[in-house]
Amino acid sequence: MDLTDTIELPPQPDAPQTVPVGAGLSIFDPVFLGIDEFGHPAYLPMIYRNILIGGEPGAGKSSLLNTIVGHAALCPDVRLCLLDGKQVELGLWKDAADVFVGPDMDHAIRTLRRVQTVMDNRYSFLLARRRRKIGPNDLFGQILVACDEIAYFSATAGDKKDQDLFAALLRDIVARGRAVGIIVAAATQRPSSDIIPPSLRDLFAWRFAGRCTNDVSSDIVLGHGWYARGFSSNSIDPNNQGEGYLIAEGGIPNRVKAAYMTDADIIRVADYATWTRRRSGLAAPADLRTAA
Amino acid sequence: MSKSSQRSPFGWSNRGGQVTVIEAPVARSYRRRAVIAFWVTLGVVGLLAAMVASEYLHPILGGLLGVVLGAVLGAVVFALIVAWPVLRVFWHWLPEIVFGLAVVYGWTTLMESTPLWGSLLIVALVVGVPAAIAPVRRRVMAWIWCLIVRHRLRLCFAAFIATNRHGSLPLILLARPTPAGERVWVWLRPGLSLRDLEQDDQVQKLAVACWANEVRVMRAGRKYAALIRIDITRREPLAHTVVSPLPDYVPRDVPANAPTSPGMPPVGLDLPDVPDVPVSAPTDTPRQRKPRNPTTPTASPNGFDPSDYA
Repeated sequence: MDLTDTIELPPQPDAPQTVPVGAGLSIFDPVFLGIDEFGHPAYLPMIYRNILIGGEPGAGKSSLLNTIVGHAALCPDVRLCLLDGKQVELGLWKDAADVFVGPDMDHAIRTLRRVQTVMDNRYSFLLARRRRKIGPNDLFGQILVACDEIAYFSATAGDKKDQDLFAALLRDIVARGRAVGIIVAAATQRPSSDIIPPSLRDLFAWRFAGRCTNDVSSDIVLGHGWYARGFSSNSIDPNNQGEGYLIAEGGIPNRVKAAYMTDADIIRVADYATWTRRRSGLAAPADLRTAA
Repeated sequence: MSKSSQRSPFGWSNRGGQVTVIEAPVARSYRRRAVIAFWVTLGVVGLLAAMVASEYLHPILGGLLGVVLGAVLGAVVFALIVAWPVLRVFWHWLPEIVFGLAVVYGWTTLMESTPLWGSLLIVALVVGVPAAIAPVRRRVMAWIWCLIVRHRLRLCFAAFIATNRHGSLPLILLARPTPAGERVWVWLRPGLSLRDLEQDDQVQKLAVACWANEVRVMRAGRKYAALIRIDITRREPLAHTVVSPLPDYVPRDVPANAPTSPGMPPVGLDLPDVPDVPVSAPTDTPRQRKPRNPTTPTASPNGFDPSDYA
């Protein structure tokens, strides 16, 4: 028997017809966000970055967040950590996620503490290896912390102490998580100082402002001074959901239209992601973790 | 050499019912510059020409020749600078002037070389075919808008954008059509900055003047602060739905209607199903203290909260 011979395996009657093959995406690939007003595709590199998504209800925030989560779900190197006070916006990804937090303040704080501990451990690991940040083929994958409607956790649910603790934990993760591959994507309607502490809001490098109810709200999302230069998402047509100003590479707001996935699309992508993830052993069933 | 008593054909004097083409302060400023340019040209060209001519002629003759050459060139420069405010208008309207000339002379040539029906047929083809084909028509209209926008911007700069001490306006460079409208590059002269265009709702005024929906100004690059870009939006190119490509990564045989868990029974989904529980006041609420330095909340009329920018 030499190397050219083929080995015939005994037939297995209960073997599945197909094997799960991942989508081959990586979080190091830029996320396709939509198109800009020149018709060019708008890509958003999410690795080592954080994004804050703002806009009035129905402006397309959750749609954009779903696009980012969907990309991450198809990346075998990303763990998903989803916080959604409204449950249904990110709920379709529940089975693909490692942690899914509904309207449960304690669970949210516990989850952020876990992420914070992971972050500290990773920094200790990097220090021991004399490195400063992680790379594409590292021992551990990246973690996407996606939070829809931050205001629920930081201003509505629980008492003041819990809200402050939540904001402090999230601020720490946004501030320090960058170099160890912990990515935060957060959405809220109006990130004014009574909803999100400005010290947290100003840490987000990238901003997306969907339609806002006035020019000041737009400036709060994008940063002070953009309205004076003519960049106000108040001018966006309220019926044109998903359009908004994006501040990404280049630092100048760019008018983009975010890509849209129907619920059926999301279910297909989420089920596929769940299937590939469970078989590859990366994502443990979220239900087991939440029950624990 | 013109003394101040002499009158220019471009009329900085309104003596004898002449029409003022150039306003008096502008004309004075240009005349002063022209005088300086004349003497500088006379000096430089005269010296150079005298040196070169002295190689071939007697030095005195060469020197005289140099002075004559310098005076002639200086006069040309003088005339150009004095007439520049008028020449500039010709330059600004050059595309329209060339187009008008082309139409007039083209029609005349066409009528001379072909019979009337042939001329009309050619004109109908030249005008009608681009007008009938939508992409060509849109492209031509976009170019026309570029021309219009340059004139409108120039008007704005002259009307309400702060100028520097010499009154020189921003230099309008290239204008390009974009799917949303036009994009114009502008070079700011010394004494101006991007802030001058940003302050006091200037962009809104620009949008009104350009007959546009909105106008945005920004730096054109990281290299020059003087080079700015003006985006004029008059159309909405983002109205269509953009379909996400993520489902394309999923094999076709993955169904979209995966079985859902039986989940929770439909209880408490309507208002009568939820009991009316009295609000329990928190017991450990600290007593409200009066702050020592009460700060009155300053509510601004438009919802501006200064602490948002703290």
